[in-house]
Amino acid sequence: MSRIIGIDLGTTNSCVAVLDDKGQPRILAAADGERIIPSWVSWSANGQIAVGARARRQGVTNAAATVFGAKRLIGRKVNADDVSWFARLAPFRIVAAPNGDAWVRVHGQPISPQEVAAHLLRAVRRVAEDALGEPVTRAVVTVPAYFDDAQRQATRDAGQIAGIDVIRILNEPTAAALAYGAHRVRDGRRVIAVFDLGGGTFDISIMSVDNGIFEVLATGGDSALGGEDWDRRVLERLADEVFDRHRVDLTAIPMAMSRLREACEAAKKALSVDREARINLPFLAHDPQGVPINYERAVTRELFETQTRDLLDRLEAPCRRALADAGLAAGEVEEVLLVGGMTRWPAVQDTVERIFRKKPSKGANPDEVVALGAAQYAGILAGESDDAALLDVTPHDLGIRVGDSQFAVVLPRNTMLPVRARRLFATTVDNQKFVTIELYQGDSADVIRNRKLGQVVLDDLPPGPAGTTRVELVITVNVESILSVTAREIKTGRAASVTIRPSGGLSQREIIEIITRRRNEHAALGVPPEAIGGTVRVTTRDQVISKPDDPDDRKP
Amino acid sequence: MAEGALSIKLRCASWQQLATIYKRDLSRSRMFLRAAAPPPIGTAVHVDLTLPSGTVIALEGTVDSHLQDPQRGSGVELALAPLAASSVWLIESALASEQRRIATPVRGVPIAGAHALTGIVPTLGENAEVTAAEQELIKALMSEAESLKKLNPFLVLGVGYEASDAEVRAAFGELTKRYHPDRFARYESIELRQVAAEIFILIRDAYRRLVDAAARAQVLQSIGRTAPATAPGPATRTVAVPPRRPPSVPPARGSARVMPHVPPLPGVPVPLPSSSSGAIPSAIPASRSAPVAAPGAALPVDKSGATAIAPGASRPPIERSLRRVPGEGPPPGAVASPAALPERRPASGPFSQTQPAPTLVEPGEIDALDDLIDQGRLDEALAGYRLLGKRAPGDRNARAGIELCEGLLALAARDRLEAAQRFETALEIDPSNERAARELAEMRRQATNERKGLLSRLMGKKEP
Repeated sequence: MSRIIGIDLGTTNSCVAVLDDKGQPRILAAADGERIIPSWVSWSANGQIAVGARARRQGVTNAAATVFGAKRLIGRKVNADDVSWFARLAPFRIVAAPNGDAWVRVHGQPISPQEVAAHLLRAVRRVAEDALGEPVTRAVVTVPAYFDDAQRQATRDAGQIAGIDVIRILNEPTAAALAYGAHRVRDGRRVIAVFDLGGGTFDISIMSVDNGIFEVLATGGDSALGGEDWDRRVLERLADEVFDRHRVDLTAIPMAMSRLREACEAAKKALSVDREARINLPFLAHDPQGVPINYERAVTRELFETQTRDLLDRLEAPCRRALADAGLAAGEVEEVLLVGGMTRWPAVQDTVERIFRKKPSKGANPDEVVALGAAQYAGILAGESDDAALLDVTPHDLGIRVGDSQFAVVLPRNTMLPVRARRLFATTVDNQKFVTIELYQGDSADVIRNRKLGQVVLDDLPPGPAGTTRVELVITVNVESILSVTAREIKTGRAASVTIRPSGGLSQREIIEIITRRRNEHAALGVPPEAIGGTVRVTTRDQVISKPDDPDDRKP
Repeated sequence: MAEGALSIKLRCASWQQLATIYKRDLSRSRMFLRAAAPPPIGTAVHVDLTLPSGTVIALEGTVDSHLQDPQRGSGVELALAPLAASSVWLIESALASEQRRIATPVRGVPIAGAHALTGIVPTLGENAEVTAAEQELIKALMSEAESLKKLNPFLVLGVGYEASDAEVRAAFGELTKRYHPDRFARYESIELRQVAAEIFILIRDAYRRLVDAAARAQVLQSIGRTAPATAPGPATRTVAVPPRRPPSVPPARGSARVMPHVPPLPGVPVPLPSSSSGAIPSAIPASRSAPVAAPGAALPVDKSGATAIAPGASRPPIERSLRRVPGEGPPPGAVASPAALPERRPASGPFSQTQPAPTLVEPGEIDALDDLIDQGRLDEALAGYRLLGKRAPGDRNARAGIELCEGLLALAARDRLEAAQRFETALEIDPSNERAARELAEMRRQATNERKGLLSRLMGKKEP
């Protein structure tokens, strides 16, 4: 049996790790030594696909066909708030799929974010296979703690398209805490905060860890704030300077902007340690007289800090809110773990220290810590490590619709999995013939704003006045977040049940179509199918999936 | 699975293998297995077919005929039960894309000549050791789940009645490490994970009830302990044996708390007839999340009648939750608490729980005998219980005590089968006999551990 890898599938960068023979997690590097893979995918006009750093470079010349931030779209509806925000900002087109999901359009072709993510996962898988020298088919993949079941399932589906069996979806803060060894502390329950400032997103999670059991107490963040904002601020400032001096608008020259952006990012990394860095870009552009501009400038940490002071302020409110949600004062957090490259920035660390009134832990590489944690959990699942047992929790309230549009919560969010809950419900009208029990997931008291997962209909109820006929509802959620729902009328024992596998927006048929299409394309090019991957998930004998051709499955 | 049934595991390393197996075997609902010593015709065989993606399709079949195939050797042919339509569809779709590659070998070369194919003929008994060990482990876990169902939350977690929150959490942490389904992921058996999940749910429910102060007070009340600060147990033992519950219905719990919107409904924690034991801590989720149900006990009828919200029932239903015990029911208004809902079979003695037994036996006598057991003076305790039994032939405590002592003696003599039977009998007589329940649970836990170890070792050998 092949090894299980841990994948941090990030908004900006992805990373892969595996547990080595000594039981230590280690990052797998690509052949060129790169340990992180930019989460970018680019389609050239002739159908060639580039992934990672190569795709990001193409983003300059081929912006409309270069997709990044697919994680912001996966499993989402196109009309969700931050999807619309991203759609306005992204240089590529974001369109609505027939079911309302957010897809991208590249060269006129609609592509699901699952497929985009699958390209990334396939690249990650290739890195792992090259590094390990053996085939890789199974992985633990991390997602943000606030991802709902649809986003999680969509991530699994992406894995399936890429030929990876995603055996577990793990919360990113949990993975980070695991890599930091937070679960090994033996003195009872501890409260930790995971402060994750990545390239494009900011997530804060307040968790408790107790004897190897992790519970997410609260999450918060700002999905529109990340390290790229720091780069952009300085980039804009430098572009202004160039305009003032040479009367050249660099923002109109994509290649120049791209070079300058990369230089800013490199300078920022250097400035995390040093106080000064030099940017040196010969032949950046030509001035109106046609004289080449050889750009050279020393940048200081101060320059960055004056340009980005307000960004630091935006870190504070989400932390305060998350603390309030968890019912904790800032001082009650016992440890703050830093995740994401931007947390190397001294001013960010100072801000964290000011908010939580303690020095954050810096024992691990913030770019890699999530992947390392995922690899550790993969080791636990494979039985290679006896370290900890993680408790996954439901990310959102789960309940049923009652009355007109009220949401009766049966399993509150943060309920440990697996779990079983029983509830009794009564009929609402005399001689009611049947009940339709609709299951929803979400945090709104108004059921309409939550996501419908499925329903079970119990008919042939015995006649009787309203309220006398009782229906017992038993909901079981297993560790893979698969729901089994049984409704049983108490008197007659008549029962109906349904198993609901979360849907990520693509039906099994669509997933298989994608795999098939890709194989056929490659077969035409003479690529062996083993190199393409693609797996078909089959349910076990006692599981019923929503049928792929179920019309409900397809409607928005 | 039926006794004596065979289990084999069959892994497809590539989609081509699956295609071959599908074309040759599954599509005609038959399967050839190589076997040196073919099992008799009619033997049930269970095949776990693992796809290259790692997912498993379960196939059920029976041995249909014995074959001597010149190419594939001697073996048996199974008649398979029909596959689920969804499975068939999924396999076929996956293979559709492979068609180009597999069409030639399968159509062009007869099976008899296909040497490549003989390599993937599964051999019956290839993984027999592992499969048998796995089945053993599943059985052990199932019986463990059964015994856990009979325990109160303190006993499930193995903590004392005065355990602090930290102790409860630590115990839960330890048990989680042992029973969380992820701990069984390595065995790649879906069934195993499901059974483990069942156990984990019991552990989790027990934990939830003990960390919540109100729920814990309820638990204590239902097992006859009101104040948490009574009767400090010996420090060396994890469980302080509580006083025997008088053979009467436990104190009624506020049904309103359990189900606020179904006020006078007595049988709220309804034992499902499908479950094998009645003592499911079913009230936990209900009581924990009761306030959330505030909108009312209304179920939408259909689109037209969906506006109505029922105010809740005001009449108790005619049928009682305890209808499995005809002629026996708690007094009206009493709510059977989960801890007090163990299986009450008519066979459990002449005295039902609603008709208190004549108090021929003083509670002090039982306590004294329990002390003897605690001190390991089993023979004396047994003699004492026998004496009590003679004096009060119907007394449950005495009869259960005899079985308990016999069981403990059998355990001391390493006769585990006898011990388990004795403990089970003791529990049947007196479902509230904690000592017996605890011993049984402990024995089953040990059995599980041993089998887990065996399976791990076997798998370790097979898969370095």
